[in-house]
Amino acid sequence: MSMIKTENIHKYFGKNHVLNGIDLEIFPSEVMCVVGPSGSGKSTLLRCLNHLERISSGKIYIDGVLVDHRENDKDVLKTDPKKVAQMCAELGMVFQRFNLFPHKTALENVMIGPVTVKKAPKAKAEEKARALLEKVGIVEKADEYPSRLSGGQQQRVAIARALAMEPKIMLFDEPTSALDPELVGEVLEVMKQLAHGGMTMMVVTHEMGFAREVGTRLIFMDEGKIVEQGTPREVFENPQQERTKDFFRSIL
Amino acid sequence: MIKLPADFFKWGEKMTAMQAKGFLDGTIVTIELTLISIALGLIFGMLLALARISKSKVLRGITWTYVWVFRGTPLMLQLIIVYFAVPLMANAITGNYLNVSMFGAAVIGLTLNTAAYLAEIFRAGILSIDKGQMEAAKALGMTYRQAMLKIIIPQTYRRVIPPFANEFIMILKDTSLVIVIGLAELTRVSKQFAASGEWKFYFVAGAIYLFLTTISTFIFDKMEKHAARYE
Ligand SMILES: Nc1ncnc2c1ncn2[C@@H]1O[C@H](COP(=O)(O)OP(=O)(O)OP(=O)(O)O)[C@@H](O)[C@H]1O
Ligand SMILES: [Mg+2]
Repeated sequence: MSMIKTENIHKYFGKNHVLNGIDLEIFPSEVMCVVGPSGSGKSTLLRCLNHLERISSGKIYIDGVLVDHRENDKDVLKTDPKKVAQMCAELGMVFQRFNLFPHKTALENVMIGPVTVKKAPKAKAEEKARALLEKVGIVEKADEYPSRLSGGQQQRVAIARALAMEPKIMLFDEPTSALDPELVGEVLEVMKQLAHGGMTMMVVTHEMGFAREVGTRLIFMDEGKIVEQGTPREVFENPQQERTKDFFRSIL
Repeated sequence: MIKLPADFFKWGEKMTAMQAKGFLDGTIVTIELTLISIALGLIFGMLLALARISKSKVLRGITWTYVWVFRGTPLMLQLIIVYFAVPLMANAITGNYLNVSMFGAAVIGLTLNTAAYLAEIFRAGILSIDKGQMEAAKALGMTYRQAMLKIIIPQTYRRVIPPFANEFIMILKDTSLVIVIGLAELTRVSKQFAASGEWKFYFVAGAIYLFLTTISTFIFDKMEKHAARYE
């Protein structure tokens, strides 16, 4: 059974056809890496999966359940907003620019999801939040506000915050591209750990080293389509499509 | 050179206990009017702001019109309408006069007016928060309501406090317009006492207003510093 399955997803922003028939299947514990030129629709794809954007048409299944089905920008499957919110929480999301809540400490950032959404008791949520901060290696900063943390530390808190909701799948949208080069490693390390722990992940990244080492599959997107896919090794070493070859040439 | 009379800076007669009490009562009315109107205006203004950024075209239209009307007409006229015109309108429609107390009318007029200004302040505050905040909250599974209450609105405090303080002080001073409906607030009290020929009473009122606006400014400064602690 696949963790995520999409059928013929299309997304338009006005006349701009940003996703053009995406069929995708991700299986448990897979680490799916997504690469492609700027504007190819990578972020939009992730955002559609957890309802931050709505697809124009197509179907999305999460863990076997049909969670979104639309045609012509209208819902075919009607779901109430509470349910939608619950489904979003099954997909953890890590953003390029962290998006930590600046008015909350690191610890509070990690606690707020379970406390607000799952009505978890504060003491329990705090205990768990500390354990998660420990896991991402920054428990000593628990009481700091995000403005006092480095980019790498902020991104690790953001990962802990997403994990606190016990998601089935983690989505990463260029998690290291806003970081100074020397801070990239600590974030990738945490992601590696997660992958080894069996988390299903979908990662938009241009970190080829990470993709090669941790990725189980890689898709190359261009102009809203999946142009090529395979194991990272296959795609890197032996790209079949001209566009893929051009892209790798341009980023190396 | 104009020569001031020798007794210019002296009271012609001592302020009587009755007059002192009058000033005290007037000051209390002014403070009550300000605090009650601002508190009610805060709630109403926040609801207006949320309606103004909602998805519903109807709500947005209604609130836009509300703000347009209440910011585009004089507060003094609004007070007159609430106190003098509304009872007559009620009579014309239902055949019964609607009895509103002076204080009640003053609070209603001030609240309706300040809510329009506060709505715009809150709306600007909410719109100034980075979109990524709402997205991060939604990605955690929060509903729109939870995200607004826990994430977005608390972050607006620091940005909203300075314009809010400004509006607070405006309303504090504008309570003096209530004089048109005859409520015995600070300005009216000073006018009554000064009617006996003692013009210095006006300056007593001025000093009291200045005192109130100064401590308000001081308190809001403290609040702003506190709200900025995480930056
Ligand atoms: N909210 C939006 N409204 C209108 N157009 C949008 C919106 N979000 C994205 N787009 C457009 O959709 C296209 C795909 O954008 P997207 O952000 O998904 O690309 P990307 O592959 O993530 O690129 P990058 O590598 O630069 O992050 C772009 O042409 C972009 O301008
Ligand atoms: Mg992107």
